[in-house]
Amino acid sequence: MPREKEKDLEQDLYSRIDVYKLAPNLETCLQCGKCAGVCPVANISPSYSPRIIINDILRGRADRWLESEEIWRCFWCANCYTMCPMDIPYPMLIMQMRYLAIEKGYGLKYFFPFKKFAMRAREDGLTFAPASPKAREKIAKIRQGIGLSPWPEISDKAREEYKALFDMTGVTDFLASITEDNEKPVRSTYLEGRITRARGKGN
Amino acid sequence: MQEARVIRPEERIRDIPERVFLFRSCTGSIEYPGTESAIRETLKMLGVDAVMDPDQTCCSGYLLTCSAHKPEVSLAVTARNLAIVEKKGLDTYTFCNGCFGYISELSHILLHNQAYLDMANGVVGKLGYRFEGKTRVFHVQELWYRMKDTIAAMLVRPLNGLRVAAHNGCHYVARQYGILDDGGYPTFHEELFELLGAKPVFYKERQLCCGYAVGRGFTHKEELVQPHLYKKFKSAEQAGVELITTVCPGCNVALDREQPNINKRYGEAFNIPVIDLSQLIALCLGVPIHKLGFAANTTPLNGILERLGIGKETADG
Repeated sequence: MPREKEKDLEQDLYSRIDVYKLAPNLETCLQCGKCAGVCPVANISPSYSPRIIINDILRGRADRWLESEEIWRCFWCANCYTMCPMDIPYPMLIMQMRYLAIEKGYGLKYFFPFKKFAMRAREDGLTFAPASPKAREKIAKIRQGIGLSPWPEISDKAREEYKALFDMTGVTDFLASITEDNEKPVRSTYLEGRITRARGKGN
Repeated sequence: MQEARVIRPEERIRDIPERVFLFRSCTGSIEYPGTESAIRETLKMLGVDAVMDPDQTCCSGYLLTCSAHKPEVSLAVTARNLAIVEKKGLDTYTFCNGCFGYISELSHILLHNQAYLDMANGVVGKLGYRFEGKTRVFHVQELWYRMKDTIAAMLVRPLNGLRVAAHNGCHYVARQYGILDDGGYPTFHEELFELLGAKPVFYKERQLCCGYAVGRGFTHKEELVQPHLYKKFKSAEQAGVELITTVCPGCNVALDREQPNINKRYGEAFNIPVIDLSQLIALCLGVPIHKLGFAANTTPLNGILERLGIGKETADG
């Protein structure tokens, strides 16, 4: 029986997740768990753990997390990155896991509010500009009380070009392509600190 | 961890600039316009010329990049905005931790991945821009700390021992390398409070995230954000905090606007005003109160202005 050679092992399993190559040092993870210790989300929702997610990504078991609700809980506060002795930029992984989940149709209910914000930002050149005239009036009133222009000084050119960048990079099409028809329910649910896979109906 | 993470303010900002590019923040100019106004007034008093440009757009933000759109557009928007600043030959000063973290991170990614830089410059090139990485990105809090002695010398409204607590904001401290203080437990805000005559308060959950949390307030508000913020406010209340300062309008939204909801849900009576550090500095330097835009706050200032000897009539005018 010939011995297993190193090349027979599957390398770079995590490159499936780290598509944009933003966490190239993931394999240095020590599994020390400091990330989970400082994570404010893990503190409240014990089924979420950056350490376990990294472990699963490295072992090619990322799918159960892509289908999960947990990846949508991350606050992106980067406490894990600040604490990590190996400087693993974990938030960059979560960001990319969310893209993959969206593409597979998971967690879309957490995506749609932001799709709406993004489509509006594309028109305004500003994020979070309210759509309703009443809310805009209130902002104008506060700004004028301070002695500022009624609306943030943003030029038509800036607005047009911001929109053009959304279109040119294919992001407008990407956002439009994700619709409610693609939606699949997130499969792992938080239950008293455990991830339980839904088995059949009514569970 | 090969290099030193923390650097001295004199290393970060060698010479105090005469002119800076002030990067407009969406949340700052829409939710709390007083922040922008306070910074412009303070810079004017410190003799620093603030240049803004209507052609600058939103930084495009972690909020959307982490939940909605892919980073291609973010890289292109960053390249375009910074190309505008580069043309003016200025450094970029942001006043939102989100803008700071996002622009500095993305410009780092652009400058260290030729393929991404080519992609971004290819796209913005069609609009007549080119990003070369000549502008450096700062947060105005770094300038305040660099100029702390000048600020202390110009103090006209000392805070008389007001109990002020800091909220540092994740996207500044998470940069880790080349920032002013230890990302794990930064204390330079407290140094500034002392110079302004306040009593800095260290509360237990000082390092907790604001809960704005790239939009978790929209998706997991009841489940995560409110219990999380409850812990923060509880510990601040127990430590006797009278005022919290932030350096990010996003943090300000979360901490200020969410307080009444938390009170309702948990039967508490938290009433801790939250303002921007720049608003506090501008206040102490004697900038007229109406220019600080406290009218935008949900949690009122609790008579702090009166305690500092600023009467109602001045507050209105």
